[in-house]
Amino acid sequence: MRGALLTKTLYFLLIVVLVGGWVHAMFQKSYADSLGVLRAALPEQIMGWTAELEDRFFDDETIFDYIDGAGEVYRAYNMRTCLSRRYIAPKDPPITMDIFDMGSSEDAFGVFTHDQDGEVLDVGQGALYRSGWLSFWKDRFFVSIYAEEETAAAKEAIKHLGKVLASLITAQGSKPRILLQLPPEGLKPQSVRYLHHHIVLNYHFYLSNENILNLGPHTDAALAGYQGGEEYAQLLLIMYPSVGKAAKALAGFLRHYLPEADSTGVVLLEDKKWSGAAVKGKLLAIVLEADSRRLAKSLLERATRVPCQD
Amino acid sequence: MVEEKKVITRRDFIRSSSCVAMGSLMGLPLLENPSGKKSGKSRVVLVRDKGVLDGQGLPKPGILQKMVDQSVTALLDAPDPTSAWKQLIRPSDIVGIKSNVWHYLPTPKALEAGIRERLMDVGVKKENMAADDRGVLRNAIFKRSTALINVRPMRTHHWSGLGTLIKNYIMFVPSAWKYHGNACENLGSIWQLPHVKGKTRLNILVMLTPLFHGIGPHHFSRQHTWHYCGLIVSTDPVAADATGARIIQAKRDAFFGTGRPISPPPLHIAAADTRFRLGNSHPDRIQLIKLGWEEDVLI
Repeated sequence: MRGALLTKTLYFLLIVVLVGGWVHAMFQKSYADSLGVLRAALPEQIMGWTAELEDRFFDDETIFDYIDGAGEVYRAYNMRTCLSRRYIAPKDPPITMDIFDMGSSEDAFGVFTHDQDGEVLDVGQGALYRSGWLSFWKDRFFVSIYAEEETAAAKEAIKHLGKVLASLITAQGSKPRILLQLPPEGLKPQSVRYLHHHIVLNYHFYLSNENILNLGPHTDAALAGYQGGEEYAQLLLIMYPSVGKAAKALAGFLRHYLPEADSTGVVLLEDKKWSGAAVKGKLLAIVLEADSRRLAKSLLERATRVPCQD
Repeated sequence: MVEEKKVITRRDFIRSSSCVAMGSLMGLPLLENPSGKKSGKSRVVLVRDKGVLDGQGLPKPGILQKMVDQSVTALLDAPDPTSAWKQLIRPSDIVGIKSNVWHYLPTPKALEAGIRERLMDVGVKKENMAADDRGVLRNAIFKRSTALINVRPMRTHHWSGLGTLIKNYIMFVPSAWKYHGNACENLGSIWQLPHVKGKTRLNILVMLTPLFHGIGPHHFSRQHTWHYCGLIVSTDPVAADATGARIIQAKRDAFFGTGRPISPPPLHIAAADTRFRLGNSHPDRIQLIKLGWEEDVLI
């Protein structure tokens, strides 16, 4: 009797594993297919550059073989597939084009915000150019076009290729809803970053060796800079899946980072900056650092006053 | 009862004066128990030669070899290069030269060749030495190695802040991604693995054309390298890395102005000192000997 039950259980588990594997494989194939369609339309030549014979595809495991540790960034934004193509020219540096299918427009936007330096260009739904590197996002795609060495011709070709590629992606994507929670007054638009993972937060603002805010795939976070006159502040907003999780994250943050916080939740740090936190429903607002108590309090009040978008 | 992990926050760094703005290059003196710490200072030699690079930015082998000889001789207070190398390597040693093949900024082949030459001068058989990077776990020489020479260029790194001598041993573990947490702070633990521990005789941090800022998925642009024309040489990898890190930060300050710390902070350098006891990261515990070209030395 027990043997029969065990056999049934094993069969059930086998079916679950097989179905799960099949579903995963189908999703991977679907993402590869979407990039395959895009690939078919890509230009073979761009100004004086010609595409190399072999395009390459990478998934969230093999991406490390391609770009080493930087692969973690794309994994932290749930990358599905990356198509890489190199264009070469006789006298100019090669141009490498990487198209990442991030699975959602929110994550394509998020990974785009990882590097916010550069000249703003009108390509896709947001683009930046600096030192031989153009990055842009459109729909669920993040695109990087890069020359190892910037020359005038390479710069022109990169920008042209970006425009061509953006035109091939016909759909438009939406930005993360949590951005609507950012108080508009004083917001520095090019400082806005969207993220899920605490290692990405630590990259931009080193907070802690442990994930004290319980950030993860199911949390949406926005990090932004604010200018209030001469004063500057950095605000972090995190939307949790439940009110309870937001409250628990606040408690953890206060315990580890601001144990001396009083009822206002605002504390003077050792570097003379002010930090504070407040929660409203599923939304946790943290002023990571502000030049004054007034600015820290004001940002927390304004952030928790915006009607919740979730 | 499960013991809660020790949480170290940004505020701890600020309190210990190893401020994040400095990329936490100054160690974590208040956070770690200093017992078992190596006493005394670590000697680090910085050698520079303005003429080491040709018109294409490639090293000239003869000058590079001279720089290695000068630095190793000064490092070990030896009368000549061969005597210096004899302090490091026995003729019977099986030597792995751990290089770095990252194609934008690899360990110069000329440097590998120069090291091989000096190893042969000491009496090491040609068949008992090998240079490798990504294949070290499969390389027969590395598997049997009794000594390691660690040599790589310094660069900023997306996930560890800096690509360092300490980090260069990541290839001695099969699952590198396991060390990516908290800006790769536990890289020093790799040096305590049985097939690595105690084998490293010399560390050479190549500072010929260091990368001080990385952009994009490939984390490289020629515009963010410069002709520093230097080598940093030490038996202490932590001291060599900490010295290189100060130069990179100084270059960033000069290029960007202040307020652009190495990001993420290269926590693994301080942790290699305070947690894994591999060497000294604090400038007060480093004896820096500067040789050669002094202009824009940045340290």
